[in-house]
Amino acid sequence: MSEDNRKKDEMTPTQSPEVRPGAVQPNASISRKLREFYDAVQDEGIPDRFLELLERLDQAEKNAKAVEVK
Amino acid sequence: MSKEGEIDDRGFKRDLLASLPNLRAFAVSLTGRHDKADDLVQDTIMKAWANQTSFTAGTNMRAWLFTILRNEFYSQMRKRGREVQDSDGLFSERFSVHPEQYGRLDMQDFRKALDKLPDDQREAIVLVGAAGFAYEEAAAICGCAVGTIKSRVSRARTRLQELLGVSGESDYGPDAGDAAITARAFGS
Repeated sequence: MSEDNRKKDEMTPTQSPEVRPGAVQPNASISRKLREFYDAVQDEGIPDRFLELLERLDQAEKNAKAVEVK
Repeated sequence: MSKEGEIDDRGFKRDLLASLPNLRAFAVSLTGRHDKADDLVQDTIMKAWANQTSFTAGTNMRAWLFTILRNEFYSQMRKRGREVQDSDGLFSERFSVHPEQYGRLDMQDFRKALDKLPDDQREAIVLVGAAGFAYEEAAAICGCAVGTIKSRVSRARTRLQELLGVSGESDYGPDAGDAAITARAFGS
């Protein structure tokens, strides 16, 4: 995908001021790939094991509170 | 300032859930592996839940969770006796994953390059460049100065450029690419 590196300005992300001018183009490509990788994981959503875990934690806490109140 | 404990449980759980996909992506970035990342996220959820009274309502829950996960990651690494690398060293084997798992070749190459970064540089560029934190927030999460984060991000970018090659010629197979990448990385 060498063409990716040539698509420079359209995807230029927020650059920190200290970045050297000559480094802008590869930085844009790297920033884009980094977000692409990260977003792909985010888009996987929440695995069931975590939903179940939170449900159990929630329930355990409710049970504990019910005992406290009595 | 609202009192501690004033945040209602539902709100806590809802906010935690909302942060999970992002938190998980951070965990994958740190560990380089989905299975390890999910274990780390699970430990983080347990810790966060157990310490929810220490979370100050109205503050940034995402940053709070990221801090817990990061601490957990390094504490587990220390327990396993692995050294936290602070320089260019340690080409870990953890990125030797099945190629199909991470899609396109250029993305595989990117993941490999990311994995080759020192931990401190990797977390910095991920927090600022992907997770959506400001430099100041990333510094708070990592417990270091803002300037330190900035320089780590900058070094991470430079290193990724070296590893990936500006011309994009690392689009070949992983092995061929590796040799070139290694030569380039150590040559400079």
